[in-house]
Amino acid sequence: MILDLLTEGRIAIKIKAANWQEVVQTAGQLLLVDNLITEKYIEAMQKSIIENGPYVVIGKGIALLHARPEDGVKKLGMSLVTLAEPVNFGNKNNDPVKIAFAFGAVDDKQHVKAISELSTVLMADNAVNKIAVIEKPASILNYMEKIIASENYQK
Amino acid sequence: MRILAVCGMGLGSSLVLKMNIEKVMDQEGIKGTVDVKDLSSIQGEKADFIFASEEIGKKIDHPAEVISVKNMTDRNEIKEKVLTAAAKLSK
Repeated sequence: MILDLLTEGRIAIKIKAANWQEVVQTAGQLLLVDNLITEKYIEAMQKSIIENGPYVVIGKGIALLHARPEDGVKKLGMSLVTLAEPVNFGNKNNDPVKIAFAFGAVDDKQHVKAISELSTVLMADNAVNKIAVIEKPASILNYMEKIIASENYQK
Repeated sequence: MRILAVCGMGLGSSLVLKMNIEKVMDQEGIKGTVDVKDLSSIQGEKADFIFASEEIGKKIDHPAEVISVKNMTDRNEIKEKVLTAAAKLSK
């Protein structure tokens, strides 16, 4: 599921970003070029961080960026940006951010399976640091696929 | 044990939190439900505990005890907090 939403073309590796706004912009742009969201959605993701605080930094070094379906989502999708240099989002527990996932949900259901799989990947030992240093999008997808497959196998 | 996982929109971080709490409950054999809610829809919801990030936790006004989670992807932190919650409930 997550591997249907997060494709090679929607992964940007070792991006240089001066601040968190640029991270959101880059991650949003990857969804925009695939016509999954409107421009407005990128602004909404930034606004959400300003209004609700940087709790989008859900774990050490990981941001999960999103806004609401009505903020301009056309089709369910996900992108990933890994950063050349970690960026602070203002989250005292989990800064600095090394990798940022962005998604646009169309409702409160269709993305649940993908987020579940993403949770599995991010709970794996040292997953963030491993993903942060991978050089190729295909290798990141391969790494994620293996973790998801082994979790399914255990069930 | 009835848990609410809460974030600003009920779409992202609360969903990750729910999944990871459920994984721990599953592994530890703890029975219960975890529902995802956004901040504006928790009033009147019955729950034993509410799990949320520290920032969101501070904004929650609800009779249930609020347990704040620093790192939602840290299996050990979530396990410790879920086990503590389950122990309180069984007293």
